[in-house]
Amino acid sequence: MKKLLALVLCLLMVVPFAATAEDVTITLWTYPIGSWANESTVNEIIANFNAVHPEIKVNVQYLDYQSGDDQVTSAIEAKTTPDIIFEGPERLVANWGANGKMLDISDLWTEETAADIAAASPTMLATCTGADGKVYLYPLCMTTHCMVIDQAAFEAAGAMQYVNLETRTWTNEQFAKACEALVNAGYAIPGIVYCGGQGGDQGTRALAYNLYNATFTNDAKTEYTMNSEAGVKSLQQLVDWVNDGLLVSDPGIVAGDAIALFCNGTTQMSFCWNAALLETNKQTLADGVKPLAMAFPSEDGVPVLDGGVWGFGLFNNGDEAKVAAAKEFIKFVCDDAVQGPKSAYATGYFPVKASFGDIYTGTEKEGNADYAVFSPYFGGIYQTAPNWTVQRTEWWNLLQRIFAGGDVATEANVYAANVNVK
Amino acid sequence: MQKTVSLSMKAERRRENIAGYLYMAPSLIFFLGFVIFPMGMCLFTSFFDYTMTDFTFSGFQNYARAFNDSIFTNHALINTIVIVLVSVPVVCLFSLWVATIIYKMRDFGTSFYRCVFYLPVVTGSVAVTVVWKWIFNNYTGVLNFIMKNMGGMLQDIGLMEKTMGTVFSGNWNWLGNPATALGCIIMILLTTSVGQPIVLYVSALSNVNHSLIEAAEVDGATNMQVFWRIKWPQIMPTTLYILVITTINSFQCFALIQLLTSGGPVNSTQTIMYYIYYNVFKMQDYGYGSAMGVILAVIIALFSAIQFKLAKTDNG
Repeated sequence: MKKLLALVLCLLMVVPFAATAEDVTITLWTYPIGSWANESTVNEIIANFNAVHPEIKVNVQYLDYQSGDDQVTSAIEAKTTPDIIFEGPERLVANWGANGKMLDISDLWTEETAADIAAASPTMLATCTGADGKVYLYPLCMTTHCMVIDQAAFEAAGAMQYVNLETRTWTNEQFAKACEALVNAGYAIPGIVYCGGQGGDQGTRALAYNLYNATFTNDAKTEYTMNSEAGVKSLQQLVDWVNDGLLVSDPGIVAGDAIALFCNGTTQMSFCWNAALLETNKQTLADGVKPLAMAFPSEDGVPVLDGGVWGFGLFNNGDEAKVAAAKEFIKFVCDDAVQGPKSAYATGYFPVKASFGDIYTGTEKEGNADYAVFSPYFGGIYQTAPNWTVQRTEWWNLLQRIFAGGDVATEANVYAANVNVK
Repeated sequence: MQKTVSLSMKAERRRENIAGYLYMAPSLIFFLGFVIFPMGMCLFTSFFDYTMTDFTFSGFQNYARAFNDSIFTNHALINTIVIVLVSVPVVCLFSLWVATIIYKMRDFGTSFYRCVFYLPVVTGSVAVTVVWKWIFNNYTGVLNFIMKNMGGMLQDIGLMEKTMGTVFSGNWNWLGNPATALGCIIMILLTTSVGQPIVLYVSALSNVNHSLIEAAEVDGATNMQVFWRIKWPQIMPTTLYILVITTINSFQCFALIQLLTSGGPVNSTQTIMYYIYYNVFKMQDYGYGSAMGVILAVIIALFSAIQFKLAKTDNG
């Protein structure tokens, strides 16, 4: 009798739930993209999905940018990758997709959805497509990365005269004068060019290549070009500003630290900012700090801003039922007329579909609508260029070397040689 | 009759052996699966050009590449050896010094200090690192604050020369300056490394044969003579253990560097462990990372062998 009881208990442990043949469990791994890092937000989205698809169970794992890539790399090697992953093309297309680990999801791009997305961003399909012609990403939201200044400090220092409030742009000269005004007013560290790691490197890249209209890659996105004449001139300008005491370079911090220093009032600008960061850092703003998003300075005052795109991709796990279920999830989250705008709203960025319209006006995140001012400066996505992972490390190493006194032209060539390996 | 007894003893011994192996099985399986197998895999993959998309035999190419890689030879290898050469003697001497003081204290004192020094060991490395990051922060850190105030005080009492102004400016970027970053890493490593050796030394010193010490004292031996002639030989096996363990831990210093400096600035805190991590997890160059792992294992084995040789005692 005892043996029988033990056997029954063992069986109950092995088969805890009476699953039906149609039930499918899929796994979603999400990077912290706006409120997608927030369990209650994601649970609500899944609850909405389950109201339509009760047969699909979604397990979620939350990744961070510190260790997320390592977890995915380990999962790829251990063949334990999730079914769905939520991040951008630099990882899904240029890295895991290019390495054959992801599924072609071009079938999600129906004629109707492709047209809707193209109406908001004509180059989006190309951004989500790998060099092999396969589509590895289905986008949900996009933004332009910008920088931020403390309007209150700028006003106190008389530096607002150098800022075009309407277009949120400025020239190099105006930027330098604004920094000078801040320093003269007693703000010892107007801004920090952080280069302690790859976190938030889109900020330092855009800061550098905008100064003298350099480009980060060539038009075909096959080669990195910051060793060009304009690129070297831009990098030299940064070094000069640091040497003149208008900016500070810091190889000990990354963007997260620089943002924290901006929010607590230590610095008066941060070179890493976007609509979602405004939301996530609201609670940490010191009294009197008044964030004002700005474009990066450039010679002619017409900036080109780095774009950010986030969406879903599927890992190739060889289970067709799970693939089908995962696609249902993506379609619901991104395409559903009611859920789609909510999903994009949770990110804090703009929806990639024109049909969703303005999702922020009249909401708690009304301030995010302001960031539409940067849309005309959207410079596209070059983060799918080859060797992107190598490039990211080489970039902050290049900055460390030039700020430590290395010759800018020589170091830029070293950088180019390391990243442009065929 | 004797044959029957012998057979039954054999059966008993066999039963005991089987039971012994069964008791060992869980840890043995764990050891084989999580230590021996990965070591074998590491050695195996080090001979392959192994990336996310490629797995081709490359012989000793990864090893040759490591010794031609200037970041590995000029930074990772040298910094690692510097960390070991500084931290191992300092940890051993400091923990021995602390242990000699606290082992004679009353029970409460000994336990209190053991806890104090052991706390950083049991505290998560991330928590320790966050605290140190704040201490070393060049904008809001406590170290710069202290330095600045100390400078002010020295100036007030006329003890600070002009040339020392920079030192006490309070503007040191401790982790962002190639001249100080590695020193800061070693400093943090020391605080997290001394706990276990202190506990071991306290225990070893408590077990030293007291009658020998009393006899020596009766014969007029000084404290130094008692320490070097009686205590030191008896705590030698513990010293050897501490030397080996500290050396291995120092060679494998990783979390601090990953969390604080990512190997920078300008590779000044690059170590073999971090460079292995970088190549395996960031570059997905598994073969090359494995080759460097094997090189590190060989270096650690060599260092340990030398330590065993040098610290060999009659009873050890």
